[in-house]
Amino acid sequence: MAIVKTEKTPAREAPLSETTIIGWMSKNLFGSVFNSILTVVTLYIIYLTVRDVWVWGVADAVWVADNRRECFKISIDGACWAGVITWMDNIFYGRYPREELWRINLGAILLFVWMVPLWLPRVKAKVLIGVTTVFLYPFLAGYLFAGGDKGIFMQVMISAAIVCLIGNTLHSIIGVLTGSSLPEFLIRLLGRQDAPEKSQHKILFGILAVSLVVVYLWQMGWHAEGVSWTKWGGLFLTLVISGIGIASALPGGIILALGRRSRLPVIRVLSTAFIELFRSVPLITVLFMATTMFPLFMPEGVVLNKLVQVIIAVCLFNACYMAETVRAGLQAIPKGQAEGAHTIGLGYWGTMGLIIMPQALKHMIPNIVGSFIGLLKDTTLVSIIGLFDILGMLRSISRDTPWLGLHKEPLIFGAILFFLICFAMSKYSRHLEVKLSTGHKK
Amino acid sequence: MKFKTIITSLTAITAMTLGGVTTASAESTLDIVKKRGHLRCQVGPPSPGYYNLDSKGNWYGLDVQTCHAVAAAIFGDKDKLEIQSVSSQMRFTALANGESDLLSRTATWTMSRDTQLGLDFLQPNFYDGQGFTVRKDSGITSALQLKGAKVCVTSGTTTELNLADFSRVNNLNISAVTFEDFNVRDETYLNGGCDSTTGDKSSMAGNLAAFPVPSDHIILPETISKEPLAPAVRHGDSEWRDIVAWSIFAMINAEELGVTSANVDDMRANSDDVNIKRMLGVEGSLNKGLKLDKDWAYNIIKQVGNYGENYEAYMGSGKLGIGIPREGSANALWTKGGLMYSPPMR
Repeated sequence: MAIVKTEKTPAREAPLSETTIIGWMSKNLFGSVFNSILTVVTLYIIYLTVRDVWVWGVADAVWVADNRRECFKISIDGACWAGVITWMDNIFYGRYPREELWRINLGAILLFVWMVPLWLPRVKAKVLIGVTTVFLYPFLAGYLFAGGDKGIFMQVMISAAIVCLIGNTLHSIIGVLTGSSLPEFLIRLLGRQDAPEKSQHKILFGILAVSLVVVYLWQMGWHAEGVSWTKWGGLFLTLVISGIGIASALPGGIILALGRRSRLPVIRVLSTAFIELFRSVPLITVLFMATTMFPLFMPEGVVLNKLVQVIIAVCLFNACYMAETVRAGLQAIPKGQAEGAHTIGLGYWGTMGLIIMPQALKHMIPNIVGSFIGLLKDTTLVSIIGLFDILGMLRSISRDTPWLGLHKEPLIFGAILFFLICFAMSKYSRHLEVKLSTGHKK
Repeated sequence: MKFKTIITSLTAITAMTLGGVTTASAESTLDIVKKRGHLRCQVGPPSPGYYNLDSKGNWYGLDVQTCHAVAAAIFGDKDKLEIQSVSSQMRFTALANGESDLLSRTATWTMSRDTQLGLDFLQPNFYDGQGFTVRKDSGITSALQLKGAKVCVTSGTTTELNLADFSRVNNLNISAVTFEDFNVRDETYLNGGCDSTTGDKSSMAGNLAAFPVPSDHIILPETISKEPLAPAVRHGDSEWRDIVAWSIFAMINAEELGVTSANVDDMRANSDDVNIKRMLGVEGSLNKGLKLDKDWAYNIIKQVGNYGENYEAYMGSGKLGIGIPREGSANALWTKGGLMYSPPMR
């Protein structure tokens, strides 16, 4: 005898708790008496907090006033955002001369233009664009921000950067429209696609050289007024320090990590000692060391300014942290990968560059972005050694005589700003992870 | 905080011994400054009244004016000046290793600093002292009534030590509540976390003026410490020391003689007072010893103003002032019972 069910079980409606909000609430928030009490109490606490914050920060807040006393007169219990608004230029640009602010803005726009191709589809040679961003953009931006007299080296680098920027932009426009790269397009434009590869290369180098010379002659007439580093500050300074730190941390970290895994004892010991030394002291100690000790090690007459000292310290410190992140990523790649690479005849650099690193870097993205976010927040420590980064500026508001004692509002503003920047970074890292994790869909 | 102090003195001493060896034979500070084309003047992180940033990013304050005065004396232009803000842990090091030419910040002139750190302190431009703020309705009228009170204080300065000394000597059993930032100290006091706050009287007056209802609070009459705030230069360059010292004296002397930035042109052209003539370089050759132009003092007064004008602007009731009354205090001229006294300029 067998029991066989022949008719289909009719489809049931989804339970109420899954489909309607009220159903969901009655299951999750008011499931039992105790849960109901908890829910009500929590909601009440949230209500109280939000109400107080709202009343203080928005409803009773003062947006326009000449000084804090005036704020008090208008509303004694509300926030005084007027001070933060008056100081907005300082918060973003520091003490940078107000008539030169366009230089910072232009620098930011150029960086954006430079980086956009990295996010566009159908653009080729993205790695090259990324590398030029790290190695050429800083010269252009550095001159824009600091100004002053440019030496021959600086002029050459600026010209190279400009040629590269123009090339990048054309390349990405052509890439998006036609899917081909700039060199291919140029060759086709000149009708030489049938010529041998060597003469094609000659033509391309010719174009490059001519454009370099043209740009070099063009930029000779430029002169940007020098702006001393003491005038740099605010969010601008924070981004400069952390930007350089971020840009140098990854290459530095990769070198140190490879050094630590090297089979050559001298390199291994040196890398390990370097990493462990910097990792075992806090950043603030490294900063103090950099600003007090560097000047003593310098030959007489050579004076590194404090900003350079700080940037060197931040770079070294973060390269060491990054080295350990990279090493963890390398460790995660099975030995078989390297052995496989060896069997097809790849040497050390080929194995690392083509097989190991691309896989390892993918695993490291969350950690790398984590340390970048940490780095961005850590740079606020420079306010302790007297640089006016964004935190230094925010704290200065409470010392400015018209706004004496105004310290909560600026710090809240700073917190919001930092949250936005860091949140955007971590969102972008999620996006990268999803995009790159082609082999490991979860 | 002891750790900080140790670090400070260690770095300062290292810098001096190492730096001293290498720069001993080098050119004089005046030559270096002239060659560079601007003065490097060191202030601290913004501090109300003394050195502050405004919303346009410019420095202002009483100590900043001292920097301007020295720049005006040397270059005839008060803006040939680079102001550096250095944290209090690093202030003496930065002066010792030549990063700055002049320390013009609220550094208290003490014997140990003067004799052990390789510094020369000059004429104080502000005499401060530690005091107490209390709520008016507490009924306290003297610091000696603070028995068993909780007092809010900022850490890491002599303020904390002075408070402990005062409490012990007078058997008051005061408990100190310490903060890193004076804003948080005041916030706690205003919210009732302390019975009183203590700090330098000047800064307390400024902070009190920024309270929501200033008239609810009073500063008690007692002053429990001496804080002569003076600019400092590196030890061993007397020529440079003279320039800075006499730039400050010129401002004090100008006030005594009634010369202001508004009337200095008129005084130089028409005054019969031989003291004024000598100071402004019309007569005599006071400038020779300083190796500066004849106009050095004129430039200071014309561009920066005399001491009284600057006090009024930044410490007194001016638009950017923090409202500390000057009459009857140590900061009045000696002719009015204060300590501001310049040796004769002749």
